[in-house]
Amino acid sequence: MSFLSLSTDLVTQAYPDQPLAVAIDATVGEVLELMRAQRGSCVLICSDNADGCRLEGIFTERDALRWMAAGGDHHTNIRLSMTRTPVVLPATATVGAAIDLMSQRGLRHLPIVDEQGTPQGVVAVGGIVHYLVEHFPQAIYTLPPEPGKRYMHREGA
Amino acid sequence: MLTCPACGCENLEGSDHCEQCQAPLTDLSLPQATTALEKSLLHDRIEILKPRPAVSFPPEAPIGEVLRRMVSERMGCVAVVDDKQRLLGIFTERDALLRLNVEVDKLRDKPVGSLMTSSPTTLRPRDKIAYALHRMNVGGFRHIPLVDDNERLVGVISIRGILAYLTARQRV
Repeated sequence: MSFLSLSTDLVTQAYPDQPLAVAIDATVGEVLELMRAQRGSCVLICSDNADGCRLEGIFTERDALRWMAAGGDHHTNIRLSMTRTPVVLPATATVGAAIDLMSQRGLRHLPIVDEQGTPQGVVAVGGIVHYLVEHFPQAIYTLPPEPGKRYMHREGA
Repeated sequence: MLTCPACGCENLEGSDHCEQCQAPLTDLSLPQATTALEKSLLHDRIEILKPRPAVSFPPEAPIGEVLRRMVSERMGCVAVVDDKQRLLGIFTERDALLRLNVEVDKLRDKPVGSLMTSSPTTLRPRDKIAYALHRMNVGGFRHIPLVDDNERLVGVISIRGILAYLTARQRV
């Protein structure tokens, strides 16, 4: 068990997900279907140019909820529903920086991008919690199955 | 190796009694919290996170109204309760994405009771925070509804509240 060090561990250790990515000309309907099929919680919208793809925006569950509540048309271009210029992190950022950004800005997903702006992964709040829990496995993983119950024998039988 | 506290005899790991003096050794194998943060997880109760009261709906409320309320209240999760405030289920952003998706216009007048996640994992406000973390990490949940001993809804805790708690403890 290593000591929890939020200021030196990098975001890449907090279980970033492989990003789901779509081109900028996709429709909201296509993106929603992709999220359902892949069970993803956020999609990155990228534009292709000469030096690879560049992150243009992010479409998360919250954007999906807003679109659904407003009763939008699913042929709408994703550009109109996405969050433009999302907050991103370089791969050299620390876990502490990611947590601060999430709690201050109320975000659940932070794309990790390289110097060219190409997305490398997405760090989500679930990954951060998993990273934190791994630092105290004894407290979390050895709990009795139900809170507030006392077992007379070690096996719980 | 387990060293018997009574006679100093070395016993096999996991032994119930000392081979030499028969003193009980079961307490020695209990996991001990090592850091202050770990201790506070096992000590603090969920109620200190100040869970906010949940937005709740009866099961016959139309889904369109529920969606609008989730957006306006900025909630990722609403509770569905019966007329005695007993928890029937929850409806989250995830449910909206997986069950409504592009068919949202056809389903807008459907009752929330037919699309919710029924009998979700619940905890009580007096349970320790370690349980909330365990349930969220293992089940992949972002929200856990809190109920009292009569299954009546008290509030909802979110993963963000837990994250704030953990980081506040870490930095002191």
